[in-house]
Amino acid sequence: MIPQEENAKEAYRSTLLRLNARAWGIAVGLVFGTGLMVATILLVMKGGEQVGQHLALLGQLLPGYRVSIAGAFIGFAYLFVIGYAIGRVIGSVYNSLARGD
Amino acid sequence: MKADNPDQPDGRLPDGDALVGGKFDTGDLDAGVPDEALNDRLPDSAALLFAPLDKRAFGTAIGAASALLLGATTAAMLLRPGPSAGLGLLANYFTGYSVSGTGALIGAAWAFAVGFVAGWLIAFTRNLTLAVSLFLIRSRMELDEASDFLDHI
Repeated sequence: MIPQEENAKEAYRSTLLRLNARAWGIAVGLVFGTGLMVATILLVMKGGEQVGQHLALLGQLLPGYRVSIAGAFIGFAYLFVIGYAIGRVIGSVYNSLARGD
Repeated sequence: MKADNPDQPDGRLPDGDALVGGKFDTGDLDAGVPDEALNDRLPDSAALLFAPLDKRAFGTAIGAASALLLGATTAAMLLRPGPSAGLGLLANYFTGYSVSGTGALIGAAWAFAVGFVAGWLIAFTRNLTLAVSLFLIRSRMELDEASDFLDHI
């Protein structure tokens, strides 16, 4: 096999065996963000005297978040960013440790 | 998969010798192999698509992300004024954890351990599912090939 073909094959192989860190970031961010948004909206729809008193504790960590429709979108934004960072960490660590054999 | 690949119109899966130790050995699949035999295998580029996840690396990645998440969350709780409601309850599962500097380190260690086990299991399950799927596809194809066996008797 000529060197150019070998290089192309190796590049193809390393690309396919690696995780796409950006895609993982977006995926984890969407899962986290959507999860919190759905949980918040469900609690708002459920209603009651004290709506989501436990979930509202997240407001301590995520300034501006509260159990309301607007809070659901704020929470989505927060958790998408956090999830994106986590996904990128997962992809980067995996790619640096995974064996290519 | 079938007929979509111009390199492998019949979509056959690799033979046994292409699957070594649970991993596809794609090192020199087509080196010195006759054309007829080559047609019975997926091209090595396609075989890579079915490559298993590295369980150790995936476990480490999930563990590192979990440790960072818990460490950062604890640090954020420490930096903000007022009581930290709720997070300290993790001590029920993570012995020695508390919302403090030392507790953050202990919690990160626990989170890494739990994350590693979870990631390893996820990778193992994913690889197992993929291997079983490939086995079923291959078995089905072999059965299809032998379906006219009785017609020859």
